[in-house]
Amino acid sequence: MLEIEGLTAGYGGIEVLRDINVRLGDGELVGLLGANNAGKTTMINSLSGTVKPMAGRILFQGEDITRLTPRQRVERGIVQVPEGRLVFPEMSIRENLLLGGINSRARPQRRQQMEKVLELFPRLGERLAQHAGSLSGGEQQMLAIGRGLMADAKVLMLDEPSLGLSPLFVQYIFEIIDKLHADGLTILLVEQNLNLTLRHAQRCYVLERGQVAVEGGADAVRNDPRTKSAYLGL
Amino acid sequence: MKQEFYDTLSSPILWGVLLLAALLPFALSSYYLHIVTLALVYVALASSWNIVGGMAGQVSLAHSLFIGIGAMLSSALLLKLGINMWLGLVISAVISGVLGAMIAWIDFRFQLGHLSFVLITLAFAEMGAIVVEGWEFLGGASGMLLPKDTGDFLAFQFGGGSGSFWVMLTLAAVCVLVNVAILNAPLGFYLRTIRDNEKAAQAIGVNVLRYKITAMVISAVLASVVGTAYVRYLTFADPYLLISPVITIEIVLFATVGGLGRAYGPALGALLLVPLGEVLRGKLGSALPGLHYFIYGVVVIAVILATPRGLLPLFERQWERWRRS
Repeated sequence: MLEIEGLTAGYGGIEVLRDINVRLGDGELVGLLGANNAGKTTMINSLSGTVKPMAGRILFQGEDITRLTPRQRVERGIVQVPEGRLVFPEMSIRENLLLGGINSRARPQRRQQMEKVLELFPRLGERLAQHAGSLSGGEQQMLAIGRGLMADAKVLMLDEPSLGLSPLFVQYIFEIIDKLHADGLTILLVEQNLNLTLRHAQRCYVLERGQVAVEGGADAVRNDPRTKSAYLGL
Repeated sequence: MKQEFYDTLSSPILWGVLLLAALLPFALSSYYLHIVTLALVYVALASSWNIVGGMAGQVSLAHSLFIGIGAMLSSALLLKLGINMWLGLVISAVISGVLGAMIAWIDFRFQLGHLSFVLITLAFAEMGAIVVEGWEFLGGASGMLLPKDTGDFLAFQFGGGSGSFWVMLTLAAVCVLVNVAILNAPLGFYLRTIRDNEKAAQAIGVNVLRYKITAMVISAVLASVVGTAYVRYLTFADPYLLISPVITIEIVLFATVGGLGRAYGPALGALLLVPLGEVLRGKLGSALPGLHYFIYGVVVIAVILATPRGLLPLFERQWERWRRS
Protein backbone atom coordinates (compact mmCIF):
# COMPACT_ATOMS: atom_id res chain seq x y z
CA MET A 1 0.00 0.00 0.00
CA LEU A 2 2.74 2.45 1.02
CA GLU A 3 6.34 1.96 -0.03
CA ILE A 4 9.25 4.15 0.89
CA GLU A 5 12.35 3.59 -1.22
CA GLY A 6 15.75 5.05 -0.39
CA LEU A 7 14.27 8.06 1.37
CA THR A 8 16.73 10.74 2.50
CA ALA A 9 15.28 13.82 4.16
CA GLY A 10 16.18 16.58 6.56
CA TYR A 11 16.18 20.30 7.19
CA GLY A 12 18.34 22.96 5.59
CA GLY A 13 20.89 20.60 4.06
CA ILE A 14 21.31 18.47 7.19
CA GLU A 15 20.26 14.87 6.65
CA VAL A 16 18.07 13.52 9.40
CA LEU A 17 17.01 10.38 7.55
CA ARG A 18 19.38 8.44 5.33
CA ASP A 19 18.35 5.87 2.76
CA ILE A 20 15.21 4.59 4.49
CA ASN A 21 13.29 1.62 3.08
CA VAL A 22 9.94 0.93 4.70
CA ARG A 23 6.86 -0.95 3.50
CA LEU A 24 3.28 -0.94 4.74
CA GLY A 25 1.02 -3.72 3.47
CA ASP A 26 -2.72 -3.30 2.99
CA GLY A 27 -4.42 -3.40 6.41
CA GLU A 28 -1.18 -3.78 8.31
CA LEU A 29 -0.40 -2.24 11.70
CA VAL A 30 3.25 -1.28 11.55
CA GLY A 31 5.25 0.26 14.38
CA LEU A 32 8.01 2.79 13.89
CA LEU A 33 10.21 2.88 16.96
CA GLY A 34 13.24 4.78 18.09
CA ALA A 35 14.65 7.04 20.75
CA ASN A 36 14.39 10.83 20.67
CA ASN A 37 16.14 12.32 17.65
CA ALA A 38 16.10 9.03 15.75
CA GLY A 39 14.10 10.69 12.96
CA LYS A 40 10.61 9.32 13.61
CA THR A 41 8.78 12.62 13.25
CA THR A 42 10.83 13.63 10.21
CA MET A 43 9.81 10.34 8.65
CA ILE A 44 6.09 10.83 9.31
CA ASN A 45 6.34 14.43 8.08
CA SER A 46 8.00 13.27 4.86
CA LEU A 47 5.08 10.94 4.33
CA SER A 48 2.63 13.80 5.00
CA GLY A 49 4.58 16.08 2.69
CA THR A 50 5.45 18.79 5.19
CA VAL A 51 9.13 17.83 4.89
CA LYS A 52 10.52 17.70 1.35
CA PRO A 53 12.65 14.62 0.62
CA MET A 54 16.20 15.09 -0.70
CA ALA A 55 16.35 11.71 -2.39
CA GLY A 56 14.31 8.56 -2.80
CA ARG A 57 10.65 8.13 -3.51
CA ILE A 58 7.36 7.34 -1.86
CA LEU A 59 4.77 5.16 -3.56
CA PHE A 60 1.16 5.00 -2.48
CA GLN A 61 -1.00 2.31 -4.10
CA GLY A 62 1.52 2.22 -6.90
CA GLU A 63 1.45 5.98 -7.51
CA ASP A 64 4.56 8.11 -6.99
CA ILE A 65 3.51 10.75 -4.45
CA THR A 66 6.99 12.08 -3.60
CA ARG A 67 6.30 15.51 -5.09
CA LEU A 68 2.69 15.94 -3.98
CA THR A 69 1.65 18.70 -1.54
CA PRO A 70 0.34 17.81 1.93
CA ARG A 71 -3.21 18.58 0.80
CA GLN A 72 -2.99 16.27 -2.21
CA ARG A 73 -1.78 13.47 0.04
CA VAL A 74 -4.65 13.95 2.48
CA GLU A 75 -6.97 13.79 -0.51
CA ARG A 76 -5.52 10.38 -1.41
CA GLY A 77 -6.08 9.15 2.14
CA ILE A 78 -2.69 9.54 3.79
CA VAL A 79 -3.58 11.20 7.06
CA GLN A 80 -1.39 12.19 9.96
CA VAL A 81 -2.49 12.60 13.56
CA PRO A 82 0.27 14.97 14.67
CA GLU A 83 2.31 14.65 17.82
CA GLY A 84 1.12 16.59 20.83
CA ARG A 85 -2.59 16.38 19.93
CA LEU A 86 -2.73 19.46 17.75
CA VAL A 87 -6.45 20.15 17.93
CA PHE A 88 -7.91 23.58 17.16
CA PRO A 89 -8.40 24.85 20.73
CA GLU A 90 -10.66 27.81 19.93
CA MET A 91 -13.15 25.68 18.02
CA SER A 92 -15.82 23.31 19.23
CA ILE A 93 -15.46 19.54 19.05
CA ARG A 94 -18.03 19.45 16.27
CA GLU A 95 -16.09 22.01 14.22
CA ASN A 96 -12.81 20.17 14.79
CA LEU A 97 -14.35 16.92 13.55
CA LEU A 98 -16.09 18.46 10.55
CA LEU A 99 -12.90 20.24 9.54
CA GLY A 100 -11.16 16.87 9.50
CA GLY A 101 -13.38 15.94 6.57
CA ILE A 102 -12.81 18.91 4.30
CA ASN A 103 -10.88 17.07 1.60
CA SER A 104 -12.87 16.52 -1.58
CA ARG A 105 -13.03 12.73 -1.15
CA ALA A 106 -14.30 12.77 2.45
CA ARG A 107 -16.54 15.83 2.29
CA PRO A 108 -19.67 14.28 0.70
CA GLN A 109 -20.12 11.69 3.46
CA ARG A 110 -18.72 13.54 6.42
CA ARG A 111 -22.01 13.55 8.36
CA GLN A 112 -22.17 9.74 8.25
CA GLN A 113 -18.47 9.55 9.00
CA MET A 114 -19.01 11.73 12.05
CA GLU A 115 -21.61 9.29 13.40
CA LYS A 116 -19.08 6.49 13.08
CA VAL A 117 -16.41 8.50 14.86
CA LEU A 118 -18.80 9.40 17.68
CA GLU A 119 -19.70 5.74 18.03
CA LEU A 120 -16.00 5.04 18.51
CA PHE A 121 -15.57 7.93 20.97
CA PRO A 122 -18.90 8.39 22.75
CA ARG A 123 -17.27 10.83 25.17
CA LEU A 124 -16.82 13.32 22.33
CA GLY A 125 -20.47 13.04 21.34
CA GLU A 126 -21.58 14.10 24.80
CA ARG A 127 -19.98 17.51 24.46
CA LEU A 128 -19.95 18.48 20.80
CA ALA A 129 -20.34 22.19 21.46
CA GLN A 130 -17.49 22.38 23.97
CA HIS A 131 -14.24 24.13 23.02
CA ALA A 132 -11.51 21.64 22.18
CA GLY A 133 -9.02 23.64 24.27
CA SER A 134 -10.96 22.80 27.44
CA LEU A 135 -10.64 19.02 26.99
CA SER A 136 -8.23 16.84 28.97
CA GLY A 137 -5.12 15.50 27.26
CA GLY A 138 -6.68 12.09 26.70
CA GLU A 139 -9.86 13.58 25.26
CA GLN A 140 -7.82 15.80 22.95
CA GLN A 141 -6.01 12.71 21.71
CA MET A 142 -9.39 11.08 21.00
CA LEU A 143 -10.42 14.20 19.13
CA ALA A 144 -7.18 14.27 17.14
CA ILE A 145 -7.65 10.62 16.11
CA GLY A 146 -11.33 11.24 15.39
CA ARG A 147 -10.41 14.21 13.20
CA GLY A 148 -7.94 12.02 11.31
CA LEU A 149 -10.62 9.39 10.74
CA MET A 150 -12.99 12.07 9.45
CA ALA A 151 -10.60 12.53 6.52
CA ASP A 152 -11.60 9.03 5.40
CA ALA A 153 -8.03 7.84 5.94
CA LYS A 154 -6.63 4.86 4.08
CA VAL A 155 -3.35 5.07 5.96
CA LEU A 156 -3.55 6.59 9.42
CA MET A 157 -0.21 7.78 10.78
CA LEU A 158 -0.21 8.30 14.53
CA ASP A 159 2.68 10.32 15.91
CA GLU A 160 3.28 9.33 19.55
CA PRO A 161 -0.35 8.90 20.59
CA SER A 162 0.65 7.84 24.12
CA LEU A 163 2.75 10.95 24.77
CA GLY A 164 1.89 12.55 28.10
CA LEU A 165 -1.22 10.44 28.79
CA SER A 166 -2.11 8.58 31.97
CA PRO A 167 -1.62 4.77 31.78
CA LEU A 168 -5.38 4.21 31.67
CA PHE A 169 -5.79 6.50 28.70
CA VAL A 170 -2.80 4.94 26.95
CA GLN A 171 -4.46 1.54 27.29
CA TYR A 172 -7.74 2.97 25.99
CA ILE A 173 -6.09 4.63 22.98
CA PHE A 174 -4.30 1.39 22.08
CA GLU A 175 -7.59 -0.53 22.30
CA ILE A 176 -9.00 1.96 19.80
CA ILE A 177 -5.98 1.44 17.55
CA ASP A 178 -6.53 -2.33 17.69
CA LYS A 179 -10.18 -1.85 16.83
CA LEU A 180 -9.35 0.34 13.81
CA HIS A 181 -6.80 -2.23 12.69
CA ALA A 182 -9.36 -5.02 13.03
CA ASP A 183 -11.69 -2.98 10.80
CA GLY A 184 -9.03 -3.13 8.08
CA LEU A 185 -7.40 0.31 8.38
CA THR A 186 -3.70 0.51 7.54
CA ILE A 187 -1.87 2.13 10.45
CA LEU A 188 1.64 3.47 10.93
CA LEU A 189 2.23 3.82 14.65
CA VAL A 190 5.15 6.02 15.65
CA GLU A 191 6.10 5.44 19.26
CA GLN A 192 8.84 5.59 21.83
CA ASN A 193 7.10 3.07 24.04
CA LEU A 194 8.82 -0.12 22.89
CA ASN A 195 7.00 -2.88 24.76
CA LEU A 196 3.54 -1.45 24.24
CA THR A 197 4.10 -1.05 20.52
CA LEU A 198 5.56 -4.54 20.14
CA ARG A 199 2.45 -5.98 21.78
CA HIS A 200 0.13 -4.35 19.23
CA ALA A 201 2.03 -4.00 15.96
CA GLN A 202 2.43 -6.83 13.47
CA ARG A 203 5.79 -5.62 12.28
CA CYS A 204 8.17 -2.94 13.48
CA TYR A 205 10.99 -0.80 12.25
CA VAL A 206 13.51 0.58 14.73
CA LEU A 207 15.22 3.79 13.69
CA GLU A 208 18.64 4.74 14.96
CA ARG A 209 20.24 8.01 14.02
CA GLY A 210 18.20 8.31 10.85
CA GLN A 211 18.59 4.76 9.60
CA VAL A 212 16.61 1.57 9.96
CA ALA A 213 18.57 -0.48 12.50
CA VAL A 214 16.17 -3.39 12.99
CA GLU A 215 13.05 -4.59 11.26
CA GLY A 216 10.74 -7.56 11.61
CA GLY A 217 8.02 -9.11 13.76
CA ALA A 218 7.60 -8.33 17.43
CA ASP A 219 9.68 -11.21 18.77
CA ALA A 220 12.49 -10.68 16.31
CA VAL A 221 12.70 -7.00 17.21
CA ARG A 222 12.43 -7.65 20.96
CA ASN A 223 15.27 -10.15 20.94
CA ASP A 224 17.55 -8.30 18.58
CA PRO A 225 20.47 -6.80 20.53
CA ARG A 226 20.56 -3.87 18.12
CA THR A 227 17.15 -2.75 19.39
CA LYS A 228 18.61 -2.21 22.83
CA SER A 229 21.59 -0.37 21.43
CA ALA A 230 19.32 1.82 19.28
CA TYR A 231 17.45 2.88 22.39
CA LEU A 232 20.36 3.23 24.73
CA GLY A 233 22.74 4.64 22.16
CA LEU A 234 25.41 2.02 22.98
CA MET B 1 -22.58 27.79 6.75
CA LYS B 2 -23.62 30.71 4.56
CA GLN B 3 -27.12 31.00 5.99
CA GLU B 4 -26.01 33.30 8.78
CA PHE B 5 -24.56 35.75 6.26
CA TYR B 6 -27.85 36.03 4.39
CA ASP B 7 -29.65 36.37 7.71
CA THR B 8 -27.37 39.28 8.55
CA LEU B 9 -27.87 40.85 5.12
CA SER B 10 -31.65 40.70 5.43
CA SER B 11 -31.69 41.67 9.08
CA PRO B 12 -33.86 44.71 9.88
CA ILE B 13 -31.41 45.62 12.66
CA LEU B 14 -28.56 46.07 10.18
CA TRP B 15 -30.57 48.27 7.83
CA GLY B 16 -32.15 50.17 10.72
CA VAL B 17 -28.74 50.99 12.19
CA LEU B 18 -27.37 51.99 8.78
CA LEU B 19 -30.40 54.19 8.06
CA LEU B 20 -30.16 55.92 11.43
CA ALA B 21 -26.42 56.38 10.93
CA ALA B 22 -27.02 57.82 7.46
CA LEU B 23 -29.18 60.54 9.04
CA LEU B 24 -26.39 61.68 11.39
CA PRO B 25 -25.15 64.53 9.12
CA PHE B 26 -28.48 66.27 9.68
CA ALA B 27 -28.16 66.03 13.44
CA LEU B 28 -24.49 66.67 14.16
CA SER B 29 -22.36 69.77 14.02
CA SER B 30 -19.47 69.64 11.57
CA TYR B 31 -16.99 68.99 14.41
CA TYR B 32 -18.82 65.91 15.66
CA LEU B 33 -19.55 64.78 12.12
CA HIS B 34 -15.80 64.86 11.49
CA ILE B 35 -15.19 62.68 14.55
CA VAL B 36 -17.79 60.14 13.46
CA THR B 37 -16.40 60.10 9.91
CA LEU B 38 -12.93 59.49 11.31
CA ALA B 39 -14.30 56.68 13.48
CA LEU B 40 -15.84 55.08 10.36
CA VAL B 41 -12.49 55.28 8.54
CA TYR B 42 -10.98 53.28 11.37
CA VAL B 43 -13.94 50.88 11.52
CA ALA B 44 -13.23 50.08 7.88
CA LEU B 45 -9.46 49.82 8.37
CA ALA B 46 -9.60 47.77 11.56
CA SER B 47 -12.16 45.41 9.99
CA SER B 48 -10.01 44.95 6.90
CA TRP B 49 -6.96 44.22 9.07
CA ASN B 50 -8.99 41.74 11.12
CA ILE B 51 -9.15 39.30 8.18
CA VAL B 52 -5.42 38.63 8.41
CA GLY B 53 -4.59 39.77 11.93
CA GLY B 54 -7.64 38.45 13.74
CA MET B 55 -9.13 35.53 11.82
CA ALA B 56 -5.88 34.04 10.53
CA GLY B 57 -3.92 35.19 13.60
CA GLN B 58 -1.14 36.63 11.47
CA VAL B 59 -0.19 39.91 13.11
CA SER B 60 0.66 41.90 10.01
CA LEU B 61 2.17 45.35 10.41
CA ALA B 62 2.13 45.93 6.65
CA HIS B 63 -1.32 47.49 6.68
CA SER B 64 0.04 51.05 6.49
CA LEU B 65 1.71 50.04 3.23
CA PHE B 66 -1.64 49.25 1.62
CA ILE B 67 -3.38 52.30 3.07
CA GLY B 68 -0.41 54.39 1.93
CA ILE B 69 -0.47 53.01 -1.60
CA GLY B 70 -4.21 53.68 -1.83
CA ALA B 71 -3.72 57.24 -0.57
CA MET B 72 -0.36 58.41 -1.93
CA LEU B 73 -0.31 56.61 -5.29
CA SER B 74 -3.83 57.58 -6.32
CA SER B 75 -3.08 61.21 -5.31
CA ALA B 76 0.18 61.20 -7.28
CA LEU B 77 -1.48 59.66 -10.32
CA LEU B 78 -4.11 62.42 -10.24
CA LEU B 79 -1.75 65.35 -9.59
CA LYS B 80 1.28 64.29 -11.62
CA LEU B 81 -0.29 62.35 -14.51
CA GLY B 82 -3.86 63.61 -14.49
CA ILE B 83 -5.29 60.13 -14.05
CA ASN B 84 -8.86 60.09 -12.75
CA MET B 85 -8.95 59.13 -9.07
CA TRP B 86 -11.47 56.33 -9.67
CA LEU B 87 -8.95 54.70 -11.97
CA GLY B 88 -6.21 55.57 -9.47
CA LEU B 89 -8.21 53.75 -6.80
CA VAL B 90 -8.33 50.62 -8.95
CA ILE B 91 -4.63 50.78 -9.89
CA SER B 92 -3.62 51.26 -6.24
CA ALA B 93 -5.88 48.43 -5.12
CA VAL B 94 -4.39 46.04 -7.69
CA ILE B 95 -0.83 46.94 -6.68
CA SER B 96 -1.72 46.54 -2.99
CA GLY B 97 -3.26 43.16 -3.71
CA VAL B 98 -0.19 41.96 -5.60
CA LEU B 99 2.13 43.18 -2.82
CA GLY B 100 -0.09 41.49 -0.24
CA ALA B 101 0.08 38.21 -2.16
CA MET B 102 3.87 38.54 -2.32
CA ILE B 103 4.18 39.06 1.42
CA ALA B 104 1.91 36.09 2.14
CA TRP B 105 3.94 33.95 -0.26
CA ILE B 106 7.23 34.94 1.41
CA ASP B 107 5.72 34.09 4.78
CA PHE B 108 4.71 30.63 3.54
CA ARG B 109 7.81 29.88 1.48
CA PHE B 110 10.22 30.64 4.32
CA GLN B 111 7.91 29.30 7.03
CA LEU B 112 8.20 32.47 9.08
CA GLY B 113 7.18 32.15 12.70
CA HIS B 114 4.87 34.68 14.29
CA LEU B 115 7.59 37.07 15.38
CA SER B 116 9.44 36.92 12.05
CA PHE B 117 6.18 37.64 10.27
CA VAL B 118 5.58 40.72 12.42
CA LEU B 119 9.10 41.98 11.74
CA ILE B 120 9.05 41.25 8.00
CA THR B 121 5.73 43.03 7.55
CA LEU B 122 7.04 45.96 9.60
CA ALA B 123 10.09 46.09 7.35
CA PHE B 124 7.83 46.25 4.27
CA ALA B 125 5.83 49.06 5.88
CA GLU B 126 9.00 51.02 6.68
CA MET B 127 10.29 50.50 3.15
CA GLY B 128 7.03 51.91 1.81
CA ALA B 129 7.39 54.99 4.02
CA ILE B 130 11.00 55.52 2.93
CA VAL B 131 10.10 55.19 -0.75
CA VAL B 132 7.27 57.70 -0.44
CA GLU B 133 9.29 60.22 1.57
CA GLY B 134 12.23 59.98 -0.78
CA TRP B 135 10.42 60.02 -4.10
CA GLU B 136 9.16 63.38 -5.34
CA PHE B 137 6.60 61.68 -7.61
CA LEU B 138 4.75 60.35 -4.56
CA GLY B 139 4.88 63.73 -2.86
CA GLY B 140 8.14 63.29 -0.97
CA ALA B 141 8.28 64.28 2.66
CA SER B 142 6.07 67.34 2.15
CA GLY B 143 3.06 65.46 0.83
CA MET B 144 0.52 66.59 -1.75
CA LEU B 145 -2.49 68.88 -1.68
CA LEU B 146 -5.49 67.55 -3.59
CA PRO B 147 -7.78 69.91 -5.53
CA LYS B 148 -10.75 71.31 -3.67
CA ASP B 149 -13.65 68.88 -3.24
CA THR B 150 -16.44 70.34 -5.39
CA GLY B 151 -18.69 67.31 -5.18
CA ASP B 152 -17.99 66.08 -8.71
CA PHE B 153 -18.74 62.39 -8.29
CA LEU B 154 -17.04 61.39 -11.56
CA ALA B 155 -13.79 62.94 -10.26
CA PHE B 156 -14.04 60.97 -6.99
CA GLN B 157 -15.33 64.02 -5.12
CA PHE B 158 -18.16 63.75 -2.64
CA GLY B 159 -18.62 67.32 -1.50
CA GLY B 160 -16.82 66.99 1.84
CA GLY B 161 -18.88 66.91 5.10
CA SER B 162 -21.94 64.76 4.68
CA GLY B 163 -20.95 63.32 1.28
CA SER B 164 -17.67 61.97 2.65
CA PHE B 165 -19.49 60.70 5.70
CA TRP B 166 -21.83 58.61 3.53
CA VAL B 167 -18.91 57.25 1.54
CA MET B 168 -17.14 56.23 4.74
CA LEU B 169 -20.32 54.73 6.15
CA THR B 170 -20.67 52.61 3.01
CA LEU B 171 -17.03 51.51 3.12
CA ALA B 172 -17.24 50.68 6.82
CA ALA B 173 -20.41 48.64 6.24
CA VAL B 174 -18.79 46.80 3.32
CA CYS B 175 -15.68 45.94 5.36
CA VAL B 176 -17.74 44.66 8.29
CA LEU B 177 -20.00 42.63 5.98
CA VAL B 178 -16.95 41.12 4.27
CA ASN B 179 -15.89 40.00 7.75
CA VAL B 180 -19.30 38.43 8.38
CA ALA B 181 -19.22 36.73 4.98
CA ILE B 182 -15.74 35.26 5.44
CA LEU B 183 -16.46 34.01 8.95
CA ASN B 184 -19.52 32.16 7.66
CA ALA B 185 -17.81 30.78 4.58
CA PRO B 186 -15.36 27.84 4.47
CA LEU B 187 -12.57 30.43 4.12
CA GLY B 188 -13.28 31.66 7.66
CA PHE B 189 -12.96 28.15 9.07
CA TYR B 190 -9.72 27.54 7.18
CA LEU B 191 -8.27 30.82 8.43
CA ARG B 192 -9.18 29.85 11.99
CA THR B 193 -7.45 26.49 11.61
CA ILE B 194 -4.33 28.35 10.44
CA ARG B 195 -4.59 30.68 13.43
CA ASP B 196 -5.13 27.86 15.94
CA ASN B 197 -2.44 25.60 14.56
CA GLU B 198 -0.85 25.79 11.16
CA LYS B 199 0.65 22.30 11.36
CA ALA B 200 -2.66 20.71 12.25
CA ALA B 201 -4.27 22.70 9.44
CA GLN B 202 -1.85 21.07 7.01
CA ALA B 203 -2.49 17.67 8.55
CA ILE B 204 -6.19 17.89 7.71
CA GLY B 205 -5.42 19.01 4.17
CA VAL B 206 -5.99 22.78 4.33
CA ASN B 207 -4.22 24.54 1.46
CA VAL B 208 -2.40 26.94 3.78
CA LEU B 209 -0.65 28.93 1.06
CA ARG B 210 -3.82 29.57 -0.90
CA TYR B 211 -5.83 30.79 2.09
CA LYS B 212 -3.02 32.91 3.49
CA ILE B 213 -2.74 34.65 0.13
CA THR B 214 -6.52 35.00 -0.22
CA ALA B 215 -6.83 36.59 3.23
CA MET B 216 -3.93 38.96 2.63
CA VAL B 217 -5.19 40.04 -0.79
CA ILE B 218 -8.72 40.76 0.44
CA SER B 219 -7.33 42.66 3.41
CA ALA B 220 -4.86 44.67 1.29
CA VAL B 221 -7.38 45.61 -1.39
CA LEU B 222 -9.91 46.83 1.19
CA ALA B 223 -7.24 48.85 3.02
CA SER B 224 -6.08 50.43 -0.22
CA VAL B 225 -9.60 51.47 -1.25
CA VAL B 226 -10.26 52.96 2.19
CA GLY B 227 -6.88 54.73 1.92
CA THR B 228 -7.93 56.42 -1.34
CA ALA B 229 -11.26 57.53 0.12
CA TYR B 230 -9.54 58.74 3.31
CA VAL B 231 -7.04 60.93 1.46
CA ARG B 232 -9.86 62.43 -0.60
CA TYR B 233 -11.63 63.29 2.65
CA LEU B 234 -8.48 64.84 4.17
CA THR B 235 -7.59 66.59 0.85
CA PHE B 236 -3.99 66.48 2.03
CA ALA B 237 -1.84 63.41 1.29
CA ASP B 238 0.27 63.44 4.43
CA PRO B 239 2.96 60.73 4.33
CA TYR B 240 3.54 60.94 8.09
CA LEU B 241 -0.09 60.01 8.69
CA LEU B 242 -1.01 57.74 5.79
CA ILE B 243 2.02 55.53 5.20
CA SER B 244 3.47 55.51 8.69
CA PRO B 245 3.43 52.23 10.65
CA VAL B 246 1.87 54.24 13.49
CA ILE B 247 -1.50 54.01 11.76
CA THR B 248 -1.21 50.20 11.80
CA ILE B 249 -0.51 50.22 15.53
CA GLU B 250 -3.71 52.21 16.07
CA ILE B 251 -5.66 49.76 13.94
CA VAL B 252 -4.26 46.75 15.82
CA LEU B 253 -5.16 48.47 19.07
CA PHE B 254 -8.77 49.12 18.03
CA ALA B 255 -9.20 45.56 16.79
CA THR B 256 -7.74 44.09 19.98
CA VAL B 257 -9.80 46.25 22.32
CA GLY B 258 -12.96 45.48 20.35
CA GLY B 259 -12.46 41.74 19.87
CA LEU B 260 -9.92 40.06 17.61
CA GLY B 261 -11.12 37.70 14.91
CA ARG B 262 -14.78 38.55 15.43
CA ALA B 263 -16.90 40.20 12.75
CA TYR B 264 -18.01 43.21 14.81
CA GLY B 265 -15.13 43.40 17.28
CA PRO B 266 -12.75 45.75 15.42
CA ALA B 267 -15.67 47.98 14.44
CA LEU B 268 -16.74 48.26 18.06
CA GLY B 269 -13.20 49.09 19.17
CA ALA B 270 -12.83 51.85 16.57
CA LEU B 271 -16.28 53.30 17.26
CA LEU B 272 -15.46 53.64 20.95
CA LEU B 273 -11.79 54.57 20.92
CA VAL B 274 -11.60 57.06 18.04
CA PRO B 275 -14.23 59.40 19.49
CA LEU B 276 -12.74 58.95 22.97
CA GLY B 277 -9.31 59.96 21.71
CA GLU B 278 -10.66 62.91 19.74
CA VAL B 279 -12.89 64.23 22.50
CA LEU B 280 -10.14 63.86 25.09
CA ARG B 281 -7.80 65.81 22.86
CA GLY B 282 -10.40 68.49 22.24
CA LYS B 283 -11.24 68.94 25.93
CA LEU B 284 -7.87 68.39 27.53
CA GLY B 285 -5.34 69.03 24.79
CA SER B 286 -4.87 72.65 25.80
CA ALA B 287 -5.12 72.14 29.57
CA LEU B 288 -2.02 70.06 30.04
CA PRO B 289 -0.20 68.89 26.91
CA GLY B 290 -0.06 65.09 26.78
CA LEU B 291 -2.75 64.59 29.43
CA HIS B 292 -5.23 63.26 26.85
CA TYR B 293 -2.74 60.62 25.71
CA PHE B 294 -2.22 59.59 29.32
CA ILE B 295 -5.94 59.17 30.04
CA TYR B 296 -6.45 57.39 26.72
CA GLY B 297 -3.65 54.96 27.56
CA VAL B 298 -5.06 54.24 31.01
CA VAL B 299 -8.50 53.50 29.53
CA VAL B 300 -7.03 51.13 26.93
CA ILE B 301 -4.94 49.27 29.53
CA ALA B 302 -7.95 48.97 31.83
CA VAL B 303 -10.11 47.53 29.05
CA ILE B 304 -7.48 44.99 28.00
CA LEU B 305 -6.91 43.89 31.60
CA ALA B 306 -10.63 43.60 32.28
CA THR B 307 -11.61 41.77 29.07
CA PRO B 308 -8.60 40.17 27.37
CA ARG B 309 -10.84 38.93 24.56
CA GLY B 310 -12.07 42.42 23.84
CA LEU B 311 -15.21 44.38 24.57
CA LEU B 312 -17.45 42.48 22.17
CA PRO B 313 -18.07 39.46 24.45
CA LEU B 314 -19.13 41.92 27.15
CA PHE B 315 -21.66 43.54 24.84
CA GLU B 316 -22.90 40.16 23.65
CA ARG B 317 -23.62 39.02 27.20
CA GLN B 318 -25.55 42.21 27.84
CA TRP B 319 -27.48 41.74 24.60
CA GLU B 320 -28.39 38.15 25.59
CA ARG B 321 -29.68 39.32 28.97
CA TRP B 322 -31.72 42.00 27.21
CA ARG B 323 -33.31 39.57 24.81
CA ARG B 324 -34.21 37.08 27.49
CA SER B 325 -35.89 39.62 29.76
